[in-house]
Amino acid sequence: MLFSGSFAAYAQDDQPGLRNRKWFIPDHLKLQFAGNIGFLSGGPGYVSRNKTLETDVLFGFLPKKFGGDALVTISAKTTYSPWKIPLKNTYYIRPFSIGAYLSYTFGPQFDTKWPSYYPAGYYWWATSFRPGAYVGGKVGRDLRIKNQVRQFEFYYELGSYDLLMISYVQNREYLKLSDIGSLSFGIKMAL
Amino acid sequence: MALKTLLKLLIIPAIISLTSCDGLFQYNPNEIVLNKNQRNLTGKNIEQIVQLPVKDTMRFIFMGDSQRWYDETVKFVESANRQRNIDFVIHAGDISDFGITNELKWINDIMQKLNYPYLTVIGNHDIVANGSDAYVKMFGPLDYTFGYGDYKFVFVNTNSLEYGLDGSTPNIPWLRAQLADNPEKKQTIVIGHVPPFDADFDRNLEKEYAATLAADPNLKFTLYGHQHAFKEGEFYDDGVQYYQTTSMGNRGYLVISCWKEGHKVERITF
Repeated sequence: MLFSGSFAAYAQDDQPGLRNRKWFIPDHLKLQFAGNIGFLSGGPGYVSRNKTLETDVLFGFLPKKFGGDALVTISAKTTYSPWKIPLKNTYYIRPFSIGAYLSYTFGPQFDTKWPSYYPAGYYWWATSFRPGAYVGGKVGRDLRIKNQVRQFEFYYELGSYDLLMISYVQNREYLKLSDIGSLSFGIKMAL
Repeated sequence: MALKTLLKLLIIPAIISLTSCDGLFQYNPNEIVLNKNQRNLTGKNIEQIVQLPVKDTMRFIFMGDSQRWYDETVKFVESANRQRNIDFVIHAGDISDFGITNELKWINDIMQKLNYPYLTVIGNHDIVANGSDAYVKMFGPLDYTFGYGDYKFVFVNTNSLEYGLDGSTPNIPWLRAQLADNPEKKQTIVIGHVPPFDADFDRNLEKEYAATLAADPNLKFTLYGHQHAFKEGEFYDDGVQYYQTTSMGNRGYLVISCWKEGHKVERITF
């Protein structure tokens, strides 16, 4: 639903008088560090007309050196940042973001549909797909390059994913939010 | 100016957390990132156990299935530390629920609070996703043995279903070789996660497995977890005593005392 929302919102953006661009051309690129979708992940994204809702597709890689196993991940992310506070010199902050993602990690050891030798429902979760959620914030600046306004943003996110959240809810004495949460940050460059 | 202040606000907590805790950044749920003191735990704990003075009676705790029951496992450790004359603790497997390294680390952190060293056998949940790799790196081999006093312990991966019931697991030729390699005729205790009478144990290997145990003249008894229930009995009418411990969720464990002519198994709830 969030997906179609952001696409629909963009379509309205493609009106006469505004920048003329085919709907499928991405609005921005992102490069992210950490966040359970790779050591580094990057890819294109779209933003809604009012600039509050972003949807990204990120291709992530985790080298064995940093992860104990080399893992390739593809993720879809949607982030909602409702408020913008302008600062001096075209700087601004978006103090609060909230978002969700669904990642897919490649590998024969990860299952989407469990093999038929397992009784139905033996394990209730898929190990290849991982949904997660996060909150965060951004700092941005509108830079004028060659008569075009180019937007750059730095963002951070504190997030977790389904399996750890369930563990946390059921173990409120032992687990702390810091046990299940992790930090990520990234940059966004508008195209 | 506001930006500088803001950047400080963002960066300072990041730097503090970077230096103060591991796991601030997570790259994938299936990553296997370990500190030095989280590696080779089986080897390190065996070293501690074999240095314990050998007494007439060996007493150990057999617990298991801690999967996603961290609060309960903390309570188990408190209860276990109140037991007297315990030499070590054995975890019957399903250390984790999702095969995630973080889960293995959490249970290890909790088990570090035990007054005794602990050993583990791998459970089916510990094999899911990257769990098996994580187990090997953190604990050690999936099949292993060690000797202590007049006893030989054999830990065997019995999680047949995780390997598609392909006849590879449990590794019966390995088990037979370990039982045969016993020149001092030590009393042998075989420990696995899935008991042979469970549906997740390879049907085609069940009889051979039970017969292998029954054929060993030094076998004292054999121990399992997995079913989240206490059980005991001579399941194959062959003189081999099977004992099964319950889960941490059911707040129970076994205290097992062994001496030359006998043994005693007590069920404890906490």
